[in-house]
Amino acid sequence: MATTLYWLQGGGCGGDTWSFMCAESPDITELFHQMDLNLLFHPSISCTNLADVEDLNRRIIEGEQRLDILCVEGSILFGPDGTGRCDTLMGEPKKNLVRQLANRAEHVLAVGTCASFGGAGGDTVADPRGLQFQRDKEGGLLGPDFVSGSGLPVINLPGCPCHGEIVMGALSALLSGGPLELGEYNAPTAWYGMLVHQGCTRNEYHEYRVEETRFGEKGCLFFYMGCHGPLAYGSCNKILWNRRSSKTRVGVPCFGCTRPDFPQFYSFFETRNIEGIPIDLPAGVNRAHYLAYKGMAAAAAPKRLIKRKSGI
Amino acid sequence: MATKTIRVLPLNRVEGDLELQLEIEDRVVTEAKSVGTMYRGIENLLTGRAPLDGLVITPRICGICSTAHLAAASKALDMFYNVDVPDNGIRVRNVTLMVEQLQNDLRHTFLIFMPDFTRPTYANAKWYKEAVDRYMPLKGRTVLEVVQETKKIIEIIAILGGQWPHSTFMVPGGVVSVASASDIIQCRLLLDNFRNWYERRILGCSLERWQAVKSRADLEAWYAENRDHQMGEVGTFLKIVIRSGAWREGRGCGNFISCGGFDIPKETAVESLGAGKMLFPAGFTSGDTIEPFDQENITEDISRSWLTGYENGRHPFEGTTLPEKDAASDGYSWVKSARYKGVPAETGPLADMINSKHPLFIELIGDKGPNLLTRQLARLVRPALILPALDIWLREIRETKAEFFREYRYWEDGKGFGLVQAHRGILGHWIQVSEGKISGYQVIPPTTWNASPKDTGGQRGPWEQALIGTPVRNMSAPVEIEHVIRSFDPCLVCAVHCIDADRFGNGERNLITRV
Repeated sequence: MATTLYWLQGGGCGGDTWSFMCAESPDITELFHQMDLNLLFHPSISCTNLADVEDLNRRIIEGEQRLDILCVEGSILFGPDGTGRCDTLMGEPKKNLVRQLANRAEHVLAVGTCASFGGAGGDTVADPRGLQFQRDKEGGLLGPDFVSGSGLPVINLPGCPCHGEIVMGALSALLSGGPLELGEYNAPTAWYGMLVHQGCTRNEYHEYRVEETRFGEKGCLFFYMGCHGPLAYGSCNKILWNRRSSKTRVGVPCFGCTRPDFPQFYSFFETRNIEGIPIDLPAGVNRAHYLAYKGMAAAAAPKRLIKRKSGI
Repeated sequence: MATKTIRVLPLNRVEGDLELQLEIEDRVVTEAKSVGTMYRGIENLLTGRAPLDGLVITPRICGICSTAHLAAASKALDMFYNVDVPDNGIRVRNVTLMVEQLQNDLRHTFLIFMPDFTRPTYANAKWYKEAVDRYMPLKGRTVLEVVQETKKIIEIIAILGGQWPHSTFMVPGGVVSVASASDIIQCRLLLDNFRNWYERRILGCSLERWQAVKSRADLEAWYAENRDHQMGEVGTFLKIVIRSGAWREGRGCGNFISCGGFDIPKETAVESLGAGKMLFPAGFTSGDTIEPFDQENITEDISRSWLTGYENGRHPFEGTTLPEKDAASDGYSWVKSARYKGVPAETGPLADMINSKHPLFIELIGDKGPNLLTRQLARLVRPALILPALDIWLREIRETKAEFFREYRYWEDGKGFGLVQAHRGILGHWIQVSEGKISGYQVIPPTTWNASPKDTGGQRGPWEQALIGTPVRNMSAPVEIEHVIRSFDPCLVCAVHCIDADRFGNGERNLITRV
């Protein structure tokens, strides 16, 4: 029997869907054919009367239609004042529908940072929340104790947007019954068990503390330009974006978009620092050791890096 | 006896949440209200933040046109910092914006617009099998090709800008990336590949042959010329949409607005399609007259929106966006009503063709005004106008000085705006900065024009007007309505309003709202 998938959008931009549309092998069309996956509904793909979708929703909620995988993209809007009127479908708050479908699903995936943690928002009127987290606190729409039919909590796939290959990878792991180990914030360690920094082509500049203060240069962006590469978990520089590159490789600082605090309250293009040393050091690093190491590294920097002769 | 029906029709494949409140009398739409059903506040994300932070936040407004928002945000900051972008900065911005437009125009046509012709309501049509064969979601052969080709052409944005969607490679003064020789070679290979596919499969002819189509008679002759033209996607589109009988619907308001698209660098072989310093000229067309466009004439009206705070229309530098908590208000949408000199205006590829005085589209519109066929055709063939300039600019990047970014002077107070002729039409960002922090940020995206609800004077928005008079053959599957709406390429996630800062010190909460 075909596995069923339902994709729902809440308070979001649709970017996770379009990122998913860029997945390579299999691509989105091949996924459904090769994996015997039956798409019950997707707001950007399905071509049906929405009256039929109302009936589909009823059948799932009443247990007549099996729901294997529920993907939610975008935050859950509670506002104003808990009514959910900021996001409705035929007059009904969408948060109610999400909860009812989640209660019937074998697996629930939060696709993107908004669905995982609330993400871009924080407006007290719209009141966006994640499915099982609100920022870094457990809770969200479904509460800390929620488990889906499979016994797992909501599987979080953060990122703004979530990388299409990660959505594809998580779905194929679930479809093939393969292991999907969850780490911190219930995100799969396969993609969130490494730092964005790993694999950045500017690593040699970072190593010798050749740091930039202006745009359009080749050096590292960590010390002054707000880069979160050593502070954020994600595989951007391993699996690359659109098979080609990453923000940090082309000179855009990593904004830490997989983190529960994204978008952070401090400015994106300046590193918070004390006497020129970043306040937030690479994950797990001791400050005194780091100061000594960076001082020596800068002294050892070769001229080809100082003169930005090395390609990136 | 007349039968009158009132129905609420929710729509998907509109990038976000849209419902239509329709009154249908004797199977014809007599009243239409466009209802944006989602509001997403992003308080404190821009107000009070550093000026550059809009470059990170605003692309997140929209998952399919994030590069357009980035470009508008950057241009607003170029003005605020009074920095002159070097030619290669302009070229990289244009190339990436154009690539995003190519993917949008093709994905919209074949993943959003054409699948409606596979609906069972058309099952008896002679062309139905062909429509299913080509356009069935996830299965049609054209759909499969479009998924493949659009994700490939997008790689150009990743090469020059890091990723798609949601990168931040444009900054005031240019772009952060420095394209290497190998980067440009890779981009050119991707572009050549895409262009070949577009000519072979979409047009069924070369770009040059298509560009010779300048009148209705030319179009008929082009169609009759050979089987490649008939079997290509433009030919098949024309055949199916015309034979479905739905093509005449969706007239709209008859006013067209364009802010001008793609800045022309100082030294380049690319020439404007009209006059001036942009590839696509700016303008406001009403009836037979085209007048120069000036952003000073833009206002937003909130009388029928679920918003409060002011009366009549306000320019984006003066506007606010305060949600009405009271569900019982006389508003019916989270979307505002964008107006030009107080009147509604359609924006998008068709408007750009009209304001560029493209002879084919001027003639097709003629005396009867636009319809869903001309609106969608403009989108489907727009790449034929984009691709030659894109090719030249990509080549010129390596042939000229490798200056992509120019340093700007730090500045604490002032304002600026950035206008971009985005994929769905005119997109504007207005920023105000005070003591080094953003004190006001307002966005008017294209769908705020096209999807606008009524204004204070009771004028309907463009697609509300387009729905009036539309026949509905099958009440349980009113596909004609969906054709009309989707021909505007709706993007409800984009219909954003940012409120301006707490400039008046009145302590009101300042919000960015998103619909």
